[in-house]
Amino acid sequence: MKFLRNFMDKIQPDKAKSPFSYTLWDGIDTFLYAPGHVTHQGTHLKDSMDLKRTMIHVVLAMQFAFLLGAYNIGLQHYQALGVDANIAAEFVYGLLQLLPLIIVVHVVGLGIEFLFAAKKGHAIEEGFLVSAFLIPLIMPPGVPLYMVAIATAFSVLIAKEAFGGTGMNIFNVALVARVFIFFAYPSSISGDTCWVAYDYNILHQALNFGDWLHISAGTAMIDGFSGATPLGLAVSGGWEAIQAATLPSGEQQYSISNMMWGFMPGSIGEMSKIGIIIGAIMLIKLKIADWRIMFSMVIGVAFMGVIFNIAAPAFPDNGFIAIPFYMHYIMGSFLFAMAFMATDPVTAASTNRGKFIYGFMIGVIGLIIRVANPAYPEGWMLAIIFMNIFASLIDYNIIQSNIKRRLSNV
Amino acid sequence: MEFVNIFVKSAFLENMVLIYFLGMCSFLAVSKSVKTAVGLGAAVIFVLAITAPINWCVREFLLKEGALAPILGDAYAEVSLEFLGLIIYIAVIATMVQLVEMIIEKYSPALYMSLGIFLPLITVNCSILGGTLFMITKEYGFSESIVYGMGSGFGFFLAIVGIAAIREKLKYSDVPAPLRGLGMAFILTGLMGLGFMGLMGIKL
Repeated sequence: MKFLRNFMDKIQPDKAKSPFSYTLWDGIDTFLYAPGHVTHQGTHLKDSMDLKRTMIHVVLAMQFAFLLGAYNIGLQHYQALGVDANIAAEFVYGLLQLLPLIIVVHVVGLGIEFLFAAKKGHAIEEGFLVSAFLIPLIMPPGVPLYMVAIATAFSVLIAKEAFGGTGMNIFNVALVARVFIFFAYPSSISGDTCWVAYDYNILHQALNFGDWLHISAGTAMIDGFSGATPLGLAVSGGWEAIQAATLPSGEQQYSISNMMWGFMPGSIGEMSKIGIIIGAIMLIKLKIADWRIMFSMVIGVAFMGVIFNIAAPAFPDNGFIAIPFYMHYIMGSFLFAMAFMATDPVTAASTNRGKFIYGFMIGVIGLIIRVANPAYPEGWMLAIIFMNIFASLIDYNIIQSNIKRRLSNV
Repeated sequence: MEFVNIFVKSAFLENMVLIYFLGMCSFLAVSKSVKTAVGLGAAVIFVLAITAPINWCVREFLLKEGALAPILGDAYAEVSLEFLGLIIYIAVIATMVQLVEMIIEKYSPALYMSLGIFLPLITVNCSILGGTLFMITKEYGFSESIVYGMGSGFGFFLAIVGIAAIREKLKYSDVPAPLRGLGMAFILTGLMGLGFMGLMGIKL
């Protein structure tokens, strides 16, 4: 590794002469090595836990969901084609399907970050590393790459750099990208057909992936396979329809174990509940994400779910309303939104009491959108964006009430 | 249940500011601090909640086709004064705003000073006249129009207080120089609208 250090030292550009290439060099250097400079102010700061390490911990916590999600893409793909593939083939198919997505997001997002850092003359901030990993995980597996590129550019430019860069955004960057696609290209992110990857992308074709299993690229999907997600089924049929769904092999498609492991059609990283729970525990243990938000979100869903369950007999047309409230936790993207989206320390409320209110309201509004809004069967992302608006207001009120309370002691 | 429905619909699903983008002038100009935003928001709630039912009465008993017949006799059964609508609604709104202005000046001179010209300008705030006109096209009854006025006012209140809290936080952010101030407020309004779009389509 010595030669890499020497090489980086040799090519270090002069900061005064060429600020742009220095920023570029600095970004790569601090990515490879822990930076040599230490904290200048605040003698109590002796931890080496800087922004970059925090971000890398979040990315690590996402890996379980990521790996299970990659496997699931392949599993769904071969189930749709009716081919018996082994685990390795499924996993490699999923990874190859994911790779271009990740590359596009990083190139577009980091490119814009580099430009702004050089223009403003500060070091590159690491905040985008997390968003760049979150954006692919909340996309459907077959989403066209140009949409992801446009959405990433939009969210980094409008929702982040316009607000002043890392740590100052009001809205969650990854969520803005998702919501942008949701409203700009609704047909490629909702419905029954987008949740399974059917085709071979550039990488599969370049590696002749189909030949490995003697499948030609144009193989049609078999009859009897439905790409409908549990949420799609529940709109009309309720919980019974989810239970009744079967695979072509006759196996139950949405058994509890399949739903927990995430072996079902859906967004890439949102399906594997077990992987997400491991990640969530890791984040809480490392004190990066706040348990208050996660806990109060669970309570919010239970609260609203019980109300809906009680009101269910009055609304026989609504498929969602009679689903037992505890089943809402393992359907759709609730857990992913809870673990990785709502807990974003920048956009969430920052006071402790505020976090309880913030999480609770996300739970309530998210479930209202899921149950009462026939246009969008899934609402966690929209609920979090909605509460991002009011996070500052919640903080403002709590700080003002604290000031008022303490003022009486003066 | 009917009234809750109208209230929630007008406050969230058909938010005057973030869905219809009405009343932008005061929304952008008075949202620099939460305190003044609360004052203006409360004034808008009050004016909307009063003008909607009054305008409903004015239209029902004076302007509508045949409304004059019970007073002036059957000869007027086909007379419609609807063409005078806009002028009269604005006159009613102006009167109510004058009332609010006097109350605020009497009880909170500080708020009166900080609202400045935007308090009398509520008169020509599109969301107030919009409230009246939407109420007419939706064919609400008297009590429904009160709830509708309060709901739309509450929606305006939420939006302006929300953006004011965000803008107070943004004071500490490193916003690019050309976007500081109004430019950022426009971007924020757009993104807030994106957040409210998630609620559109909810059936109660």
